[in-house]
Amino acid sequence: MTADDRKTGNPTASGEGPVPRKGRASRERLLWRFRILRLVRSSRVPDDDPTEDAAVRRRLGFSFWLAVAWLLIMAFVAAFAPMLPVADPTKVAFGGPREPPSADAWFGTDALGRDVFSRTVHGARISLAVGGFAIVFGMVVGGSLGIVAGYFRGRLDQAVGFAFFVLLSFPSLVLAILITATLDRSLLVVSLTIGILAVAPVGLLARASTLVFAEREFVAAARVLGARHGRIIVRELLPNVVIPMGALTLLGMAIAVVAEGSLAFLGLSVAGEDAISWGKMIVDGAGLRDLQNATHVTMFPVVVMFLTVLSLNFAGDRIRQYFDVKELAF
Amino acid sequence: MARFVVRRVVLLVAVLFAVTFLGFSAMNLLGDPLVNVVGVLAELDCEGIEAGLVEDTTVDAASRDCDTVAAAKAQYHLDQPVPVRYVLWVGDLATGDFGTSFQNDQPVSQVIREKLPETLILLVMAQIVSLGVAIPWGVIAAYRANRAFDRGSTVASFGLLSVPNFALGVVLLYLLALRWQVFPSAYEGDNLGGLVFSMVLPAVTLGLPLAASYQRLLRTDLITTLQEDFVHMARAKGLPPLRIMFRHALRPSMFSVITVFGVSTGALIGGSLVVEQIFGIPGIGREIVTAVVRDDFPVVLAIVMLVACTFVVLNFVVDLLYSWLDPRVRAR
Repeated sequence: MTADDRKTGNPTASGEGPVPRKGRASRERLLWRFRILRLVRSSRVPDDDPTEDAAVRRRLGFSFWLAVAWLLIMAFVAAFAPMLPVADPTKVAFGGPREPPSADAWFGTDALGRDVFSRTVHGARISLAVGGFAIVFGMVVGGSLGIVAGYFRGRLDQAVGFAFFVLLSFPSLVLAILITATLDRSLLVVSLTIGILAVAPVGLLARASTLVFAEREFVAAARVLGARHGRIIVRELLPNVVIPMGALTLLGMAIAVVAEGSLAFLGLSVAGEDAISWGKMIVDGAGLRDLQNATHVTMFPVVVMFLTVLSLNFAGDRIRQYFDVKELAF
Repeated sequence: MARFVVRRVVLLVAVLFAVTFLGFSAMNLLGDPLVNVVGVLAELDCEGIEAGLVEDTTVDAASRDCDTVAAAKAQYHLDQPVPVRYVLWVGDLATGDFGTSFQNDQPVSQVIREKLPETLILLVMAQIVSLGVAIPWGVIAAYRANRAFDRGSTVASFGLLSVPNFALGVVLLYLLALRWQVFPSAYEGDNLGGLVFSMVLPAVTLGLPLAASYQRLLRTDLITTLQEDFVHMARAKGLPPLRIMFRHALRPSMFSVITVFGVSTGALIGGSLVVEQIFGIPGIGREIVTAVVRDDFPVVLAIVMLVACTFVVLNFVVDLLYSWLDPRVRAR
């Protein structure tokens, strides 16, 4: 299959679908369109730009690689944090508490005298692990539900659509609180919680692009040749639907990292003394006295977290433009 | 049109039931509410004691532990299966009874009534801030699209969209309340003026990222609108640019912003949990976090339900609004 086959950028061929039937059906269709539009637009992505030309889209650019470099550094640091030559993040360091940044402690020490640099390095572990796991979970569960619903249509589609609708009816942080409130706050539970948040948006995207592809000739051809449903879904639809989903991975991860940070900030993320997370570090130094006298305790994690989320958003948005996902969604 | 509305209302009711049932069973099945009411007594094998198989270790005969447990079970309907409890609970909700807090036996409805106004004021102010910033910002950016200001604002809005709420809140608190002391650092709820003034920073924290996303949408739509024939016509008539912008072009360009309005309110509610925590606002968000930490099951459940139902109804209204805004949805 060539790249051209995979790309359905052509809105006249498939984007509009067949001429909408009159009455209820077309209205339903429009409503779905709006709902998805609402989702796409409410995600924290600046919208596609009408003034931007196609040539720009096809180039990733220097700043993209800068963002990727930062993400790679973060991933490396997260993976090998215990082996890196940094101080023990849970033990009191050499200096006193609330020491300003120095040659010994690059980011200073916090209220308990722990090394902020080392804690920031270790904090990357939970943030990225939760973010990565959550988006993979969302893609596997939401993606398969969305493809199956979009392919078989009918009752199943309605049921899955209803389930997504219900999941989306909770503001995400509230749903996360509902789950973490009742369970032990282990790494797995927190990751699963945020993964569940990702199911419905990813599922809607998968469903929408499946609807587009299911009407195309190669699917009809496969069916005529006698392919079974399973084969059509796995061999024909999946490779096409994975592209828009994959292009949005980094953007989804940015949302997941922020969600974990918010939970940690509220004290509802992974529990335990050695579970260090950026959100927790920020709230630790956010008391008025600490903020006044030892600003570095919060500001370093704030800056690192901002740069990471910015890189995820920026690289993710570039990839989204590169693959022209917006046209695929309808 | 009538049939359309009826269908939407049926869907609304179904979603409300599903949301409440999901929330209720999650709270009941994942945790044991009995533990939260009576503590360690929940582990007592009362059936064994009644049958005489296990020795009753209660010292004081007047208040047997098993009686306490039984009373708690009866009070909170904990001796019934979950579906029955759900029906009872929904029945109570319908009569305005949200249950009583495990912590201090206060009616939950009273807790909500006390905390809700602060959160509502915060949300309204945040929306005002975001629209107040986004409309002029978007208009200027679209008016001179791809010039220096527009390019700069693209970068700025991208940056704003990447700051987590809590990080922005902490930075604003540090700069504007502690460093330059423009705004109070502590919440002052004694009079309305002080309340509104101390809500400015929280509202800005919530509203700025939203303003950035509104600005992107408005700019995109405005650029498209400004290329339409009727705008050229207005310009040819010699109308002043400001009048063209605000009387002719702005209104048809607001569609995307309104589209996102419903969803963004949900995001704001989530954000308000965090922001209330930073700025010490005694609202719904702070209450739910405290309740979660204390395992105060009825309060958590009631607030989650309140928020989710508000969100569902709001999205329902936005769904209906489309049919007024876009004739294609209405057309037969």
